[in-house]
Amino acid sequence: MTGSLQLVPLLRRYGTFLGFLLIVSFFWSQRPDTFMTTRNWLNITQQVSILCVISFTMTLVMVGGDFDLSVGSMASLSGMIAAVLWQQEVRLFGALGAAVIVGAFGGVFNGVLVAYAGLSAFVATLGTLTIFSGLALLVSDGKTIFGRAIPEIVGDFSRGGIPLAEGIQLPNLTLIAISVLILMGIVLQHTVFGRNLHAVGGNREASLLAGVPVARLRLIAFAFNGVGAAIAGLMLVSRLSSANPTQGDGLMLNAIASVFVGMTMSEEGEPNLFGTLTGVLILGVLSNGLTQLRIDTYVQQILTGLIIIAAVLFSRLSLRKR
Amino acid sequence: MRWNLFIFTGILLLALPQFLFAQSRTVAVLTPFLAQPGTQLMVEGFEATAKSKGWQVDVIDTSGDVAALVSRMEDVALQKVDAMVINVDPSQIRNGLLAAKDAEIPVFGMDSGADPLLTANVTSNGYVMAAETATYLVDQLNGKGNVVMFIFEPYPPVQKRGAIAESIFNNEPDINIMEKITPSFDRGPLEGARNAMEAVLTANPAKGSIQAVWAAWDDPALGAEQAIRDAGREDEGIVIVGIDATEQARDRIAARGNLKATVAQDFTGIANTVANTVEQYLQSGSVSRSQIYVSAKLVTADDL
Repeated sequence: MTGSLQLVPLLRRYGTFLGFLLIVSFFWSQRPDTFMTTRNWLNITQQVSILCVISFTMTLVMVGGDFDLSVGSMASLSGMIAAVLWQQEVRLFGALGAAVIVGAFGGVFNGVLVAYAGLSAFVATLGTLTIFSGLALLVSDGKTIFGRAIPEIVGDFSRGGIPLAEGIQLPNLTLIAISVLILMGIVLQHTVFGRNLHAVGGNREASLLAGVPVARLRLIAFAFNGVGAAIAGLMLVSRLSSANPTQGDGLMLNAIASVFVGMTMSEEGEPNLFGTLTGVLILGVLSNGLTQLRIDTYVQQILTGLIIIAAVLFSRLSLRKR
Repeated sequence: MRWNLFIFTGILLLALPQFLFAQSRTVAVLTPFLAQPGTQLMVEGFEATAKSKGWQVDVIDTSGDVAALVSRMEDVALQKVDAMVINVDPSQIRNGLLAAKDAEIPVFGMDSGADPLLTANVTSNGYVMAAETATYLVDQLNGKGNVVMFIFEPYPPVQKRGAIAESIFNNEPDINIMEKITPSFDRGPLEGARNAMEAVLTANPAKGSIQAVWAAWDDPALGAEQAIRDAGREDEGIVIVGIDATEQARDRIAARGNLKATVAQDFTGIANTVANTVEQYLQSGSVSRSQIYVSAKLVTADDL
């Protein structure tokens, strides 16, 4: 009896992760030759790396009780800024730096609107989504930039990595995602900023009364997210060897979905990095596995949506029962 | 004797599927644009031809997400399919093409751009199609009038069309390009073009202030026609032309409204040619040409 009582909170906390393991086991059993291979898993980590970066920094914003709809268009804008600068023969790192600075400015702009001007995160970032999207089209004149305009080293970067064995390497994009995960983990768990941000997300009024600089913390979280979106945008340019003014737009919904799925892995339903990572991996593994099983892509979308809803619903129900 | 027959028949029945399986080819068709009527026609055409050849076809659509298409190409490369067919700008999916190359899987473009990593690309000649509609428009206007252009620069094959039409209009001294519009895709290009055309009509209320609309594909042409009809200005003689000859565009041209002409890309012909080119490569290990053009035809009400 005691054992079963102990099992309930464990299931509640790790139910989503168990679900992830079940999904992995299912694909493994169905495609034993190709799914559970080092090459395929490195493939998956590379495929989800861009979403990882944007979702990890989005987790930071959501820990503070906000969210950001503009990350996808910021990723497009940052990538476009770098590509346009390369086209004008600006040096490699100059263009990369400019793109990251644009991301930081965009994040700060979001932060000012939400934390200081008092706009709701939904309205403010919906507005900036449109602004960043328009800016991306404006700077590129609506065109896709590709070919010689993109330095060869940029495209080569996403194809490179640390060699692990013959023909197998840990992709550079995966390494960036791991670095951002570690950095965000340190920021959230081992800094005063991170601990205070948790307090702000938990109870904003109480944090204010306790003297926590709520507005500043929220602004910094948005700035981190802007930089994360910019890095993701640059990774996207590297992966596609081209920059398109709308290529990052699809990232936003998947990032929010990943954080929401990850929230089911916390006792209090709070955003957390391990949960977000699990959420991203669920999306990545589903896409990879269902493609390998030759499931219709539209059925894939329906299944992915159903699994997200099921995970969040399961968590809600178990919280209510508690 | 009867037992022998049973055993022989049993062995045959067991072996037959394996024999058939060994003979069958698997081809993955990958596109982010399956919602587009032209792409649908090509994919359906390819599936039909592939079926007649006994191939298995896996169609993968990433709903506009090019990065996801690269990921799916990597997944398909791991599956060791016999060939991939893509309908997307190859310059944006270099990593996917390299994954296919590493896995030694040939990739064929179905109305894509040319790329050294493609074994072959089958398409209509975009320059010729744009020239057909632009010169038709110039002739209809007797070389004089204000033209609204609907273009789409992010996708190179469509960008080419706009560039050619623009240079033809610029070469005519009395043709004035009054607007160049990239329709919003938020609610589809038809709705985006309709909204944009409504704004142009509102900004130019005088009768006879707009003589023509040139659209780089049919959806914006249809959207512009709807806006002109809704504004009650369909009797001003505004001539609209599109490209692709979708069913909807053909219906409107047959109705003898403002939409006067389109260019029929032979989508089924492109699809068949791709399938035949894939077959040629799988049998011989080479293709006769890497860039193959399939003819397109101007369609007016007289043709319908």
